[in-house]
Amino acid sequence: MIEISNLTKYLNKKSVISDVSFSAKRQECLGLFGLEGAGKTTLLKMIAGAIQPSSGQVRILGLDTHTHGYHARKAIGYQPESGVSHPTLSVKNLLSFIATLRGFQGAERRRRVDHAASRLELWPVLDYPINTLPPGLKRKVAFAQALLHDPDVLLLDEPSEGLAPHQQGKISRLIQSLADEMTIIVASRDCEALAGVCTRALVIGGGRLLADTPMPELQRSSRHFRAVTLAAESALDLLALAVLPGVAGIEEDRHGPGTVTVLAMPGHSIYPAICALIANRRWEIHSLNLEPGRLNDVVHHLSQEASH
Amino acid sequence: MNLLPSVFKRQLASYLSAPATYLSVALFLLLSTLLGLHTSQLLERSSSDLQGFFQWHPWLYLLLIPALSTQLWADENETGFGDFMKTLPVRPAELVIGKFLAAWVVAGLALLLTFPIVTVVNLLGSADNRVIASQFLASWLLSGSYLSVGVFICALTRQRLAIFILTLSLLLLASGVSSILDALERQAPIWIIDSLTSLSPLLRFGLIDHGTLTFQDGAYFISMIIAFLAATTVILNYKNS
Repeated sequence: MIEISNLTKYLNKKSVISDVSFSAKRQECLGLFGLEGAGKTTLLKMIAGAIQPSSGQVRILGLDTHTHGYHARKAIGYQPESGVSHPTLSVKNLLSFIATLRGFQGAERRRRVDHAASRLELWPVLDYPINTLPPGLKRKVAFAQALLHDPDVLLLDEPSEGLAPHQQGKISRLIQSLADEMTIIVASRDCEALAGVCTRALVIGGGRLLADTPMPELQRSSRHFRAVTLAAESALDLLALAVLPGVAGIEEDRHGPGTVTVLAMPGHSIYPAICALIANRRWEIHSLNLEPGRLNDVVHHLSQEASH
Repeated sequence: MNLLPSVFKRQLASYLSAPATYLSVALFLLLSTLLGLHTSQLLERSSSDLQGFFQWHPWLYLLLIPALSTQLWADENETGFGDFMKTLPVRPAELVIGKFLAAWVVAGLALLLTFPIVTVVNLLGSADNRVIASQFLASWLLSGSYLSVGVFICALTRQRLAIFILTLSLLLLASGVSSILDALERQAPIWIIDSLTSLSPLLRFGLIDHGTLTFQDGAYFISMIIAFLAATTVILNYKNS
């Protein structure tokens, strides 16, 4: 579906994307993660055809975007990071115009616009001038236009940034449902939010691909994988926790007194032992969480390692 | 070219919703009427055509055409919509031709709004409407050729002021070819002078202005339009690749 080989981009003689290669199959949802300025947006823009690579190749459905850009663009839906804006058009007119450019006319065009607007819950702002909307809503409009033609490849750049938490959840569920129909690449600085959505993670830093791994693998590489975080009102006996079998270390939360995270050694499950200790010592615990792994820490760590 | 009508309609709507369009068209109408009726004393001469009125058009287009040209890509450039358009399946040729045609229609509408002068001339004397129609057509073709230059400049720069100044300068240069030729008359070979004379839009328009529009004159303006639009498409294709 998507084949990227040796993609490189120079801007002002500086390499912003360096020798990136990966591929994605149908019904795969790839998370493109990295810190600010890692090159995520540039990479997505090159796949979408907004900018041309200095070298390397992007193939969409077997079509080279350089030589068959027109046909490749037909298969792509792209939501830019800044959303879509226009000085005069309303949200409805903009969606309608883009639907026309996508080749839809009359009743079919209206049906597509209505469907995309209801998927992204844009009804309340449909008649608003798009230029007056906040950035989060502009992104939602951009997301809606990317879905108008049921693309084979969907490229999303920070789709839920600037939205309220409950809206972010809705966007994540929408992406998850779309993954059954198309190949999705979603770029984000916050990979925790996409942990349950993406099947594979691409970590990018300094324009280079640092990791291309299934999402569970990335979670497993976190030092907080299977760690247990517990919060209590009184001070806990950290020594008792530290000597439990399989415990690799203990982290105290500087911002939350009485909250500690007990790290597990790779391949060990410390949760039952901690539960038994709590019951044994009759600690009054507010919360007890088994952590799936802190993905943002992993991405940060990989990026830091790459920059040294 | 399936998307050409959509691009054309969008651009036409953009022109019709912009106050700058009405301002520049109103200024064109005001100046053309004042200059045509007052300076050339059109009504006193009781002419059968509108030569005194149309002779000012090449100069008035120096204001109208750069003003229309600055609006050609304004929507796209102001909000980054142009960069986003690169990700849509629209061919540069569809964009260029669609936008050009919309601007040309606006120039045509500005010309049509001068129809009261034709009515006045018909009421006051024996007007030769065939000649007047050919003068209108020639003026519209001239505006089209000037607009194609504006479209070409728009492909080179995004700055509104730069588009206005460059288009104005290029059109001034084209309009001033006759003065340059007069200066070169004794220094350059006659065949060069003749070739340059045949290329000057102002001189070509002057010839049409005196009588009916010939096939060569029409072909001259249309080929100029095609040449500049083709050059614009090549530049956009190059920029996108």
